[in-house]
Amino acid sequence: MPGNNASQPLVETRNLVKTYHLGGETIHAVHGVSLSIARGEYVAIMGASGSGKSTFMNMIGCLDIPSSGDVLIDGIPTAEMTSDALAQLRNQKIGFVFQQFNLLARTSSIDNVAVPLIYAGLDTETRRERATAKLIDMGLGERLHNTPAKLSGGQQQRVAIARALVTEPLLLLADEPTGALDSRTSEDIMTIFQQLNDAGITVIVVTHESEIADHAKRRIEFRDGIVVEDFLVTNRTLAITKPHEEMEPAD
Amino acid sequence: MAISAAKIVSGWAVNVAIALTALRTNVMRSILTMLGVMIGVFAVTLAVAVGSGAQVSVMQTINSLGYNMAIVVPEAEGDGPRRSFTRGRLTIRDINAIEREIPGVRATAPQLRSSVTVAVAGNNSTTNALGITDGYGIVTDTKAAFGRFVDDNDVRTAARVIVLGKTVADELFIDANPIGSKVRVNGIPFTVIGQMEEKGGALGDDNDNIAFIPISTMRQRFSSEDLSGPDDVQIAFIGFEDGYSLAQGKDDLLELMDDRYNIRATQIRPFTVRTTEEFQEEFGFVTGIMQAVLVAIASISLLVGGIGIMNIMLVSVTERTREIGLRMALGARRSDIRNQFLVEAAVLCVLGGATGLLLAWGSSLLLAAYADFPVPIGIGTAAGAILFSAFLGLLFGGYPAIRASRLSPIEALRTE
Repeated sequence: MPGNNASQPLVETRNLVKTYHLGGETIHAVHGVSLSIARGEYVAIMGASGSGKSTFMNMIGCLDIPSSGDVLIDGIPTAEMTSDALAQLRNQKIGFVFQQFNLLARTSSIDNVAVPLIYAGLDTETRRERATAKLIDMGLGERLHNTPAKLSGGQQQRVAIARALVTEPLLLLADEPTGALDSRTSEDIMTIFQQLNDAGITVIVVTHESEIADHAKRRIEFRDGIVVEDFLVTNRTLAITKPHEEMEPAD
Repeated sequence: MAISAAKIVSGWAVNVAIALTALRTNVMRSILTMLGVMIGVFAVTLAVAVGSGAQVSVMQTINSLGYNMAIVVPEAEGDGPRRSFTRGRLTIRDINAIEREIPGVRATAPQLRSSVTVAVAGNNSTTNALGITDGYGIVTDTKAAFGRFVDDNDVRTAARVIVLGKTVADELFIDANPIGSKVRVNGIPFTVIGQMEEKGGALGDDNDNIAFIPISTMRQRFSSEDLSGPDDVQIAFIGFEDGYSLAQGKDDLLELMDDRYNIRATQIRPFTVRTTEEFQEEFGFVTGIMQAVLVAIASISLLVGGIGIMNIMLVSVTERTREIGLRMALGARRSDIRNQFLVEAAVLCVLGGATGLLLAWGSSLLLAAYADFPVPIGIGTAAGAILFSAFLGLLFGGYPAIRASRLSPIEALRTE
């Protein structure tokens, strides 16, 4: 049975290519990338705008279909998967955190966090239980019934992280997770990521800020669709860890 | 992987909850969209109801004039101007032969008709007088509400007695009891012996604007038509036993009459036999067509309502492209997205349809109360309206929902 093998890479790409055709011109967004990321890694993917880092991220998140090559998640090749199988894979193994949080408006924190569990086929009660537990983990026990409009940016991103984690995924993919936050709140989010990684979750963060990338254990740099640098971070920045409840006073 | 029924139900329940949230987000837009379906369902439901009402009303009228009977008139079949040579004869002797020889006959009611003026002191009323025998009451199931009906003795003695319909009685006597009063019919004194029970009316006819006198009295005093002989009648109702085949009765009647008047098979018959069954079929056909036309016209508004649903669902899908992308990223399959928007369209349609049904129901009560026209909305019509609304949602919501489900997750997510 493929998967569930701790020794094989969690994410592996094999000669991954993504090309776009824009008005007769062919653009190689990702131009043959092969790399592997093991369980428990904390990877920062960096690069300028248009370097291909986001396209790469979308493909390993099974949101975008490669032009050629393959992405293996937990040892399972995805190139031939149906859209339903990919949906199930995203649901079970990958948690997404977006720059703009992407919470459903006019929907409570608890219902936002429970959305992935709907598609996992769980009943209402289990969904609410698990969503509540994750929100409490994120220090949002007092904000269960607030809609996004009633939450600060940092709180919204923590709701989004709770949503990413509620299906207990192996992999957390964050695309510019602090891009819409101030530096102090960004630090709080980095603290959460570090704690999650310490707890065994593989974290991949796409960012263009080196202060954010410095928190990761490994850095991969993209330029013109290829990997130009891939190294382990030696002098890693460690976030100050403290209980979530103290991170941001309830307002 | 087995998916339990509870999971499926909870999946749909989630979709209904999502739909309600989405509809609440745009209350005004949702209401305006529902309005289209509401008006459509209102119009169609009322059209069906008015059609059924007309049908019921016509059937009641036909039944109130007599059920399970044949009508014999001494006129050739077919439309067009009546020509003298097509006029046949129908006599009391024929009626007696019918009663004697044809199986299944319950009673016969030969009649003469004349327009008369009935007068009491300072008050008069013009009405149709029917000259009848005692068989009329049996054939048409007519009884006197007060006093008595014309009997065999009245007919034998050509008594100057009259039975008034309710409308005539009300016009002449208002609230007073007319029984025993003297009236003048075309100037001739008569005694009122009875008042008919109310028959009501339908489609503008008043079946209570009528008076009955013995047929013999009618013949002696008022007969105006150019009848061919001293015992000719203008029309006869032949009542058959309950459940006796009217088609068989009609065949027997035609055979007997053909025989009595030596009508050859190639000849046009100078008399016509119609049955209440035939009337019901003909009127049923006519009211059926009327109903179909009404429903067809009303359906156009429902179609317009459906197009409104499709339009607003397309707008909704476009506005919520990012939400669709997000849901796909979080594990929604294409079918989950499709069902979500299908349910949203169906919820819109069912809410609109239910409101339209309530309005139609209210209107039917008003029509029944104030226009005296029964407009029945049955359970079947109501359930049909709701089911059809849901179907409309699936039909017109289908294209937008499938479009939503075909979006690429990443492109949907990138949408601003």
